[in-house]
Amino acid sequence: MLSAEKVVANQIVVPGSGIYKLVLEGEVAATARPGQFVHLQVGLATDPLLRRPVSIAGIDRERGIVTLFYRVAGRGTALLAGVGEQETLSVIGPLGNGFTLPQAGELLLLAGGIGIFPLFSLMDAVDRSKVKVKVLWGAENRQLLEAAGRQRLVDLALDYEVSTIDGSMGQPGLITNLLESYLRKRSLESTQQRISTVACGPPVMLKAVTEICLREGLPVEVSLEERMACGVGACRGCVCTVRAAGGTLERRRVCKDGPVFKGREVVWDAEG
Amino acid sequence: MQKVDLSTQLAGLKLKNPVLTSSGTYGFGEEYGAFYDPGFLGGITVKGITPKARLGNPVPRLAETPSGMLNAVGLENPGLEVFLNAYLPRLEALKTAVIVNISGFSLDDYALMAEAMPEESCIAALEVNISCPNIKDGGMAFGTDPRSAEEVLRVTRKHTKLPLIAKLSPNVTDITALAKAVANGGADIISLINTLLGMRIDITSQKPILANTMGGLSGPAVLPVALRMVYQVYAAVKLPIIGMGGISSWQDAVEFMLAGASAVSVGTANFVNPLAPLEIIEGLEEYCRQHGYAAVREIVGLAHR
Repeated sequence: MLSAEKVVANQIVVPGSGIYKLVLEGEVAATARPGQFVHLQVGLATDPLLRRPVSIAGIDRERGIVTLFYRVAGRGTALLAGVGEQETLSVIGPLGNGFTLPQAGELLLLAGGIGIFPLFSLMDAVDRSKVKVKVLWGAENRQLLEAAGRQRLVDLALDYEVSTIDGSMGQPGLITNLLESYLRKRSLESTQQRISTVACGPPVMLKAVTEICLREGLPVEVSLEERMACGVGACRGCVCTVRAAGGTLERRRVCKDGPVFKGREVVWDAEG
Repeated sequence: MQKVDLSTQLAGLKLKNPVLTSSGTYGFGEEYGAFYDPGFLGGITVKGITPKARLGNPVPRLAETPSGMLNAVGLENPGLEVFLNAYLPRLEALKTAVIVNISGFSLDDYALMAEAMPEESCIAALEVNISCPNIKDGGMAFGTDPRSAEEVLRVTRKHTKLPLIAKLSPNVTDITALAKAVANGGADIISLINTLLGMRIDITSQKPILANTMGGLSGPAVLPVALRMVYQVYAAVKLPIIGMGGISSWQDAVEFMLAGASAVSVGTANFVNPLAPLEIIEGLEEYCRQHGYAAVREIVGLAHR
């Protein structure tokens, strides 16, 4: 649960993108599941003080490595970017519940921006001889899609569609348009395949795609993100709000009870 | 190798070693079980309980600060009844002293909570929280006025025989006035400090980061303030002290004990290094051995000589 993982690689994926690929070798890989995360200590000083949660994007049990992607956004991730190969990082993990792995039917993956990262591990884990995987991915622009790993979808020969807000790649606009048109097309084909949906991205995107999925009667799992302190459910700093059976509002810990929740349970605008 | 006696006793609270974990940082004693057996600890302090369940504050509840963090959880807890029925039985299994932190919004609340906590159980003491900065009424309001603080302790005292720990707020001008007040009210032990009221602003949105606007500062940043207050309280009242505030290492713990703390409590450090409490126990033992103390109790208050 607490280990010193060896940094096998820690490099920027595309110059100027701010997105880094971090490969860790150690104990985490043995038990990691898609949708889980690790809690990294980015420096030995007390400033910044807290660990940083990063989702697991790839799991290689045989080699004992996990792959993570992160975008440098503040001082913590900037420090992380400076960690060199062969150094060790203090890691708590794997943490959280992870995605449900479908055994049949269709798996529809909905990614918003760098929300694609945890979905990579799910793409690897799902048995594609039994499950049809479809990816819909919305981002600001083409650069982000390329830096965040569009080529990976090509290499995996996945069926995917993208949208960009600036129209530089795929369908111009938001992922919600992409989702609506895909579901329309799918209903015309009147396929009987069971479909399950998994979404990861910013809260506004998750809320919007969840509403569409629920309207269409599709089960949807969402991977949430929240400021975290302990990462293990002790401090209750990273809660989300859910509507429990019976209609009462309850808090759930994103780190321990999540980060994956059933979309139909999540109350998106609790108390504003 | 000479064996160091780590055991200690604070009024009616017997501890196998002087290292506790702080309320709100240690859940209900189960979350850190994946890292080590909590039975190694002197004791654990569970999340603050209120008579009724509380949803607590909206998110963001956390903000990072230089060498510290702000929290505004707002006393989210399952309420007294669920605590007694669901959590207390599980706490019985832990081989360590269990301290239950109780919070209220009125004197009646504190009376009710004290009355309801079974004396014949794993509960070793009650920590009376008169210092939570993250709720609108009660909490810190009781803990910043000596007369109210004394009254809370007096009322609570009438309803339980369990040792009472008064948890003091550092958000006061004179900490010794509060310490004397809770001593008069019937506290057996004083714990300090709770968090310091603070805030941060997001310069992009130009709004406070915390949904609650303000929150409680903890972590290494508050250590000197906490240490100073422990030192002052030790000189002002006779009650044993549980020192806390930014303790991350055994060296920090030694400082607090030298200042007058009979026991120390580890809070925010758990988030960074889950093994911190164990490392502190080992370090205290080694410090005593190196300096020729047969018992850790001997170093309490030595900085006052």
